[in-house]
Amino acid sequence: MKLQTKLALFNLISKLIFSALFIGFLPLIIERINTLQTDRELIDKREEVIKLISEIGLEPLITSEAETGFGSYNILKEEFISLERIDLEEDWNFIEVATRIVDEETIDYRVLNYSIKIDGQTYLLEIGKSLSSIRYAAKNIRTVILLFLALFIAVTLITDLTYTARILRPLKIITRRLVTTSTPSLADFSPVVTTTKDFRQLDQTLRELMMRIDELFRKEKEITVNISHELMTPVSVLRSKLENMLMKKDLDPEIEIGIDESLRTLHRLKSLINSLLMIARLESRQYLREDEVSLEELITEIKGELSPIAADAGVRITTDCPGTFIFRKANRSLLFSMFYNVVNNAIKNTPPEGSIHVRGEKTGEKYIVTLTDTGRGMTEKQLEIIFSRFRTKLDPDSDSTGIGLAITKSIADFHGIGLNVKSQPDKGTEFSFIFP
Amino acid sequence: MNVLIVEDEKSLANEILLYLRKENFLCDVAFTGTEASEKIAVNLYDFVLLDLGLPDYDGLDLIREARKNNIDVAFIIITARGAVEDRVRGLDLGADDYLPKPFALVELHSRLMAVARRKFKITDADINLGEFIMGIQARKLLHQGNEVDLTKKEFDLLHYLVINHGKVLARHQLYEHIWGNTLDDQYDSNFIDVHIKNIRKKMNMHGPTPWLETVRGVGYRISTQE
Repeated sequence: MKLQTKLALFNLISKLIFSALFIGFLPLIIERINTLQTDRELIDKREEVIKLISEIGLEPLITSEAETGFGSYNILKEEFISLERIDLEEDWNFIEVATRIVDEETIDYRVLNYSIKIDGQTYLLEIGKSLSSIRYAAKNIRTVILLFLALFIAVTLITDLTYTARILRPLKIITRRLVTTSTPSLADFSPVVTTTKDFRQLDQTLRELMMRIDELFRKEKEITVNISHELMTPVSVLRSKLENMLMKKDLDPEIEIGIDESLRTLHRLKSLINSLLMIARLESRQYLREDEVSLEELITEIKGELSPIAADAGVRITTDCPGTFIFRKANRSLLFSMFYNVVNNAIKNTPPEGSIHVRGEKTGEKYIVTLTDTGRGMTEKQLEIIFSRFRTKLDPDSDSTGIGLAITKSIADFHGIGLNVKSQPDKGTEFSFIFP
Repeated sequence: MNVLIVEDEKSLANEILLYLRKENFLCDVAFTGTEASEKIAVNLYDFVLLDLGLPDYDGLDLIREARKNNIDVAFIIITARGAVEDRVRGLDLGADDYLPKPFALVELHSRLMAVARRKFKITDADINLGEFIMGIQARKLLHQGNEVDLTKKEFDLLHYLVINHGKVLARHQLYEHIWGNTLDDQYDSNFIDVHIKNIRKKMNMHGPTPWLETVRGVGYRISTQE
């Protein structure tokens, strides 16, 4: 998952959890606040009533018919006040929730009970406020809070996303550069513009690293050019001299054979130098990767080229590469060598009546080319060294330098192609090329 | 034809000179870039064999100079540097061919002839091979009007022997010509034998091929007796 997505997701989830908790506790909180508020109101009213009584006395409040007390509701029965004479052992001063039946309607009230002693007589003062009116106020408050929360989450989410995208942009640029750069010499060495110190450091370190690799590659390239020149020039001189000698008329047959053998040895030396230089060039990424290669076509071509050799050795080559897989950013002639070497190697190691099968198929995301032969196979020990240079020359009479599979491995590495080998003695060998 | 050999390795320059004179070329040699630059400006050459690794000159600059001064000469780059981009850059600058060292002298000769044919727009005439006719343009081998079914590689192999008729070509020379340098490690003398065997077999179904000779231990030759 991308860093930006992770950050945004974390932000969103943390906000949602916080909001959920808040919403969960909201009724409790609101009720608590409301109760406190109502109680305070009730107490205020009590003080007012007491003040009123002390000013005008009880008489105007207590009617003559019902001398026991006084009661008053407002029209919507949201509030009431009552004062009645009562016999009490102790002083009352508390607030409770109580149910009253008013005009055949049952209503819950929050009621303040307060006992007052006037002229040796105890009166109970009750001031009530209906719970439904309290709850109605609470509902309003909750709606406002929820709306505000939703708006808050939406706005912060958008700003968070925009901001993280903005501050993470340098990282995106750095990553893209690393991913798209196939060779250090083609890398973009301009610094990434950013005010974030971490990114600046990351960018600088990577650029320095890239430049150092580029420098090393350049040096290695120079070295390969020099080695090539220094080794090939004398080989070239020798070759031309020997060829000219061989063209002289009436040569002693013995000398003729000698010169011819020298030329063949020289050819082997040249092949060896070329092979080693090729590996060095592959390792320092000197080859271009500008071709789009159809593997089906490539394998068919190799089959065509090697079929006569295989037929001569009594070995059958079959191919099966359904679907056209195009390998991009490749070097065709290198890929050709890569497959050619393994197929040719398989022909050499497969006895007459044997067969070689090249199969290409898409497995999941990857395209895999598998080469199976019914050859003499290899032991575990031989398998370990087949890609090492020089150690694989099994047949001392062959003209090849035994470096072919090392080249194959280098070409595969150069293209980022995975290479696996399985083998059983006397059963055969299987090479798998896993294309990225 | 006039050839200027630009090569700082004197012994190699002399061997090339010796060989090309035998092949009836008029040859001149320059051991340094300065010398070459002067000679190209003054004399009329058909070909310049150009070594890129000159001590005093970047060989490619000689091509640039000549092209700037509208000198119509065919450059064939010969180099031991083996740098991948030399070939591309050289051909981009208008070099006519590129031959990595060490090359076979017969290969050099056939490249020169190929460039000459292109340069002077010579149409290749069909070649008579005993009872067979080799159509170079059509890339077909015919026997009394019937086509002999050769693969591309087989045709190339036969053609290379034909244009060097009378000369013995070693197996590794033939291999180098057909497969180039990238498959160097896969060289097997048996490769050429198998292909020649197939060529003979295919042709013998139509007619005899006594002119395609095996030179024991060395290679093959197309004789010119007939």
